[in-house]
Parts: sequence; structure tokens; C-alpha cells
Amino acid sequence: MRKEQMSVHTLEDMPLMEDLHEGEVYDLAIVGAGLSALSLLHSGAAALGRTVVLDYQEQVGGLLRYLLPADGFEAEWELLRDFQLPAGVRLLLQTTAVGLLPASAAEPTHTLVVRRRQGTAQLRARQVVIACGGVECPREHDAIPGTRPAGVMTPVLALQLLARGYLPGRRALVYGDSRYALATARRLEEAGLEVITAAPTSGNGRSVRLCGTIQEICGFPRLSAVRLRSHDQQSVEVEADTLIYATGLLAGTHWLKGSGVSLTATGTIAVDAHYRTTIPGIYAIGAVIRPQLDHESSLRMGKEVAALLPGGVL
Amino acid sequence: MEMTSRDFDVDILVIGGGVVGCAILRELARYDASIALLEQYPDVCEGTSKANSAIVHTGFDARPGTLEARLLAEARQLWPEVIARLHIPYLQTGALMVALNEQEQATIAREIVPTATANGVTLQPLSRAEILEAAPYVNEQIVGGVLVEGEGVIDPFWTTRAYCEHALLNGARLFLDERVNAVEVEPERLRVHTASGKTFSAALVVNAAGLWADELARLAGDHSFSLTPRKGEFLITEEDHGVAQIILPVPSQVSKGILVTPIVFGGVLLGPTAEDVSDKRDLATTTAGQQRIRQGVGRLVPAMATASTVRQFAGLRAVSSTGDYIIRPSTVSKRLLHVAGIRSTGLSASPAIGRYVGTLVGETLGLRLRTSYREGLPEPLSEAAHEDGEVICLCRSITRGEVLAALRSPLPPQTLDGLKRRTGAMLGECQGNLCLPRLIELFQQEQGRDPLSLEKHAPGSRLLVERPTRLGGVPARSGERPK
Repeated sequence: MRKEQMSVHTLEDMPLMEDLHEGEVYDLAIVGAGLSALSLLHSGAAALGRTVVLDYQEQVGGLLRYLLPADGFEAEWELLRDFQLPAGVRLLLQTTAVGLLPASAAEPTHTLVVRRRQGTAQLRARQVVIACGGVECPREHDAIPGTRPAGVMTPVLALQLLARGYLPGRRALVYGDSRYALATARRLEEAGLEVITAAPTSGNGRSVRLCGTIQEICGFPRLSAVRLRSHDQQSVEVEADTLIYATGLLAGTHWLKGSGVSLTATGTIAVDAHYRTTIPGIYAIGAVIRPQLDHESSLRMGKEVAALLPGGVL
Repeated sequence: MEMTSRDFDVDILVIGGGVVGCAILRELARYDASIALLEQYPDVCEGTSKANSAIVHTGFDARPGTLEARLLAEARQLWPEVIARLHIPYLQTGALMVALNEQEQATIAREIVPTATANGVTLQPLSRAEILEAAPYVNEQIVGGVLVEGEGVIDPFWTTRAYCEHALLNGARLFLDERVNAVEVEPERLRVHTASGKTFSAALVVNAAGLWADELARLAGDHSFSLTPRKGEFLITEEDHGVAQIILPVPSQVSKGILVTPIVFGGVLLGPTAEDVSDKRDLATTTAGQQRIRQGVGRLVPAMATASTVRQFAGLRAVSSTGDYIIRPSTVSKRLLHVAGIRSTGLSASPAIGRYVGTLVGETLGLRLRTSYREGLPEPLSEAAHEDGEVICLCRSITRGEVLAALRSPLPPQTLDGLKRRTGAMLGECQGNLCLPRLIELFQQEQGRDPLSLEKHAPGSRLLVERPTRLGGVPARSGERPK
């Protein structure tokens, strides 16, 4: 793979002190600047009028940003590498949506409550696209028994540590067989860790070294081993000082509590075939509606919703 | 070797920075004496004090006539002032003990009510309809129960820290990361040696070492009691299903049972199990334990049998060979005072244990009260100060301002778990995987900590390992990706 320079927007070229224009009513507010949001912008959302995009992180590109470029993620990298903020679109980084008040009879626009360095502010928009993705599912969510040592993490932590020049451990078990999990395993290997891959039998065709489900986390104060059980009930203890728990995402919807946007039993946003939530004028795309997706469909959803939004010209 | 910088002379030395040790330190700080506390971990509130139900318990079910029952009763009187003076988050939820059948109902009438009366706690009998009206989430199959109005929930970390900070404000000294490995008993002094090579000489030593109090006694040659660990596993869920009271089962012979307890900052705690174990460091959760919790809470609040969990943990409580608190001088020296076997009631009884031990020590050494004593902690930071800065912990919306306030507090965190307990960051759905690098940076910025030295909790729990200078003959390139 060619090594290329990121040309994405970072805090350096996007002043943080930029005026929020609190009084202004945007035509479109996009919550999240990950792949689905970038795909939406790339597909012509600029034609939708005044648009604001906000993201918790310091850079665009979502969680995947820490992995890219990586083999098997060519389309995602291309989008991120070549991304140019369309004219008229305001990008607010390190700006986190903490609440959503949908439009009502008294207030015809949706209001996003956002938190940034300067404090709490409100953004008003006629339409909202929720593209905030999710967080990685940790070991605790799946209630894996055992000790609670240092060295148990999800890929986003390991990748961020590598990017800062640190190693998360010396011998890692990477648990999961998604493209993302295996690309993380390769990255750790390149950084000098000894890596063992493992996953429950899934039949997705990607190869891992060990097949089995995690039964127990062992060791304290640092991880010493992970016990796996194979499909024939054999128990294997794998020595490792690091476990990369890479089983998927949890939709990031806790900030929508009380907003009236309906969620499914698994915490994702409920949408119809046209990405419409239960509230008119509020859409949702990407991992926040399908956390199990493996990134390709984020790009597609962004394109599709760009064409669907009222005022869209594609 | 510089002996002077490693030798410390104090009047009173408290060993153990749990809720009991810190409550004692706070009371001792009233005296005109030099006092210090040693804690083996890098933070206070690390042992039994950190993993429990967080209930301020009335002691309605304590065995009447025991020291435990007496101190729990005294603590009931002391709590309101402690909470107000130290600004500790507390919720008086009340507790409902529910009977699932006539037999359990009979146990309440025959055993629970008379014991509570003997302990000075009034229980309010409630019919099935009254309970379901007040707590519609409770199992419809109950036949009745009682309300214990005075029960409430608190933050044990906040409480322990507040005791300690209050003592520090009044001149006490705190030594973290100091594990005692030898105790020399002399007629007029005790000399306590730690693994880091320090020596503390004291006129009186308070043994508040929790689960390790028997081992500390043995270091001094005192074999008069022993403690065994009983493990309790818990689950935390953020699905509250309306739970607003503590829901208790009717206790059995062996255990108070598995409870449903609201958490003072939101969410619900399920557990604990009660399993006697041999290893005082065995904090592993188990599949069997988690299943027992689900079965237990399902009988009380059916929705909790399947509620999703964000975290699981286990704690160890001390079971003493005497069956009651052991608060008395050592058999080898009256200068060593044991405060041991505090079972699972240490948090609830802590204000009274502190007062009782403080008075005992003051009388033993003939101490005078300090002329300048500050009665409480200053007001905590206002909400406005917490508004400062962008969100760092996405899952819990914890801001940079809140993290910095914790890092700059009088008793700042030394570990990542310490920061977690002070701010709530890393406690949400992603368990810190997203924001941890930023928290490491703030540690570095505020405390000058080398990220490589930063630990999760216990000594040896470092998060990062050193990058080797050479990898297979090729120089490692920090931050750069191979082609």
C-alpha cells in the first residue's frame, strides 16, 4: 500500500474558537463526522443549504480514523484522504451533542444541545442527520467472567496508543474476525507485538488462528491469560498480556434519552427504509442504526440519504 | 543511604486507608498530636471499602448486644452531620424487605421485627397492595413485607476520600503505596517498616488493615484472631426499571441475600453473592456467581433477571473468628489497637467506629484537643466550574473541567481507576476505551506523570509497555506506519 499523507481537517486548520452562530437556523445539522457523514457530504449535501457538522473527536473520520490507511479499507481511505469540506459547510470538532429537542408546534426547528470547550450551546436546524456511530463493545458489556486486570481493551484504544508512540503490551490476543479486527491485529504485529487471533466459529471465510469463545479473563494486576472454549468444548488457555476485544459496536444513543427518537431493543435508532426516524425531519445513518455493519454500508447509506433528503439534488 | 528521610516519628499511626481507617484518621485529627496513615495501594478506598452495596445501613438486623449493633445505632445519629459537613452525595431511599410466601412473612414477624425493635429501629409493616403501589416494579407474587425507612445509599469512594481529605485539612499525613512488612514492638514505641524501606515510629498504632488486619497482627507476634475472605459478586445495570428503593429478600441462615440497590449517581446494583474463598486477592467474577445474582434479583424485581449489564465486579469482606467487631488492644502490646473483623458493615458504622476509636486513643495517650480544628470540608466546586471544557468521556458526558478538578483536588488520583471514581469518566458503555488516551494526557499535563508509569489500579497494573529500541534489527519508528 502506498503511504499517503492525511489531508483531512484537523484542529490546526479548523479554528476551535469559531463562532457557533447560535442564533442561526441551519438547513441541516449532521451529528458525527465519521464515514457515513463524510459520504453524505461528499455526495452533495452542500446543495441542501447551510449545513453544520459536529463531532466529539479532534478530527473527522470516526473511530476508523485510527486504523486507516489499512489493507482492505481502500474505499474508506480514499474518501477520508480526498475529503474536502464543501463550501458553506461549517465543521465543529470537539463539539459533542448531549441532547436533542425535536421540533414542536411552538418551535418549528430541531434544537441540538452541544458541549464544547467554551461551554454549552444550542444549534437549531430544519433537518438533522444522526450519524454519530457508536462505541466499541467492551468485555464488560458481554459480562465475560474473570479478573479485571490492566491490558484488556478494544481496538480503538490499542490503535490510539500506537498512534501516540506507545505499545499496549507485548503479546496480544485479538478476539474477533471482522475486517477491522484483523486489520488491527496486523497493525499490532507491525508495531512489534506477538499477535494471536481468535474468534468464535463464524464461517465468514476470514482466517483466525484459534476458534473458540472466551470463557475467562485471567491474571492480576496485568492480564496473564485468556481461556477459550472451542466448539468441541475443549478449554484452551492462551497466554497473553493484552486482550483486544474486537466484537463490534454499541450504538451511541445514550444522549437521545428523552428526545422522543425511538430506539430498538438493542439501543439502535429505529428507522424506516428511507433512514427516517420516528420524528419527521430527523434521519439516522451508519453504525448508529446498524452497529454490526462492517463499514462498507456506511458509505452507501451516506450516499442514499443525500439523495433522499428533501432539497437533495442528486 | 539517607536514613533521616526514610524515618518518620509520629504520635499515632493508622494502618489501612479504607473507609474505617480514614474515619478513624478524621477523628484523631481533632487531637493535638501528629498522625499519619499508611495505605498499601496507590489510592484510598481500595479493599473491602470499594466493592460493596454502598448502603448506609440502619443495623436493624444486627445481633443485639454486640459492639457492631451498638456502633451501627450510634452511626445512625452521626450520619446527618457527617453528610452535611463533608458534602457527601447521599439518597435516603428506604429499604423494602419483601416476603415471597407465608413462611417468609412469618420469619419477618418472628425474627426480623423483634431484632429491629431491640436495635431501636422501627419497621413499618406493608401489605402486598401497599408495596406494589409504592414499588410497582416488585414481583407481583409477593405476599407482604416491611419498610425500613432509614436505609439509604451513598458513594463509598467519596465518603472515604472526604474522611481522608478532612483529616489532611486538619494536619494528618497520608502515605500511599506503603505496604507494611515488619512491626517491632518496643515498650514505649512501635516501629513499623514498609516494603519501600521507610520506618515509622509511633506511640500508638491503629490496625485498620481490613482483610489483612490478622496478618498485620501476626507481624507484631499477635496470633489472637484470624480473618477469612467472603466473596461477593455484583452486576451494575443502567436500566433502572423505576427502582427507587433498596429491595431486600428475607434473609436465610447464611446470608442477607442478593439485593436490588439503586446507585446514588444513577443505575442499579445487583448482588452480592456470598462465597467463602481462601485467597484474599481473588476478585474474579464467575459465570456461576452471575447466574446466582440473576436468579436472586429476578425473584424480587423480575425485570432485573435480564437487564443488560455495563459492568461486573467482586469484593471481599472479612469474616472474623469471633463473630463481632474486634476493637481492642493487641495481646502483645497495648500500643497496638486492633480495629478488625468489621464484616460488611464498615461503611455504615464508620462515623461511630471513628468516634469510638478516636476517644479510646485520646484517653489512652492522654491527648488534648487541638485548638484550631476545621469542622468540615469547603464546599465542593459549583456546577458552573464543571461546565468548563469539552466533553472527554463521551459515554457519561464528563468534561475536561471535571477531570482537571479531580486531578487538582487535595487528594488527587494516582491511578486511572482513582480518576474513574472521582469523576465517573470511563464508567459508561465503552468503559474508557475511547477517552483513555486523553485522560493519560491530562495526567501527564497536570501531574507531570510519565504515561509509561501510569497504572490502572494495583501496583503492577501498568497500561503501556516500553517500546523496544530495536525490532528485529530494524529501528522502531514511533507513530509511523510501515509501508
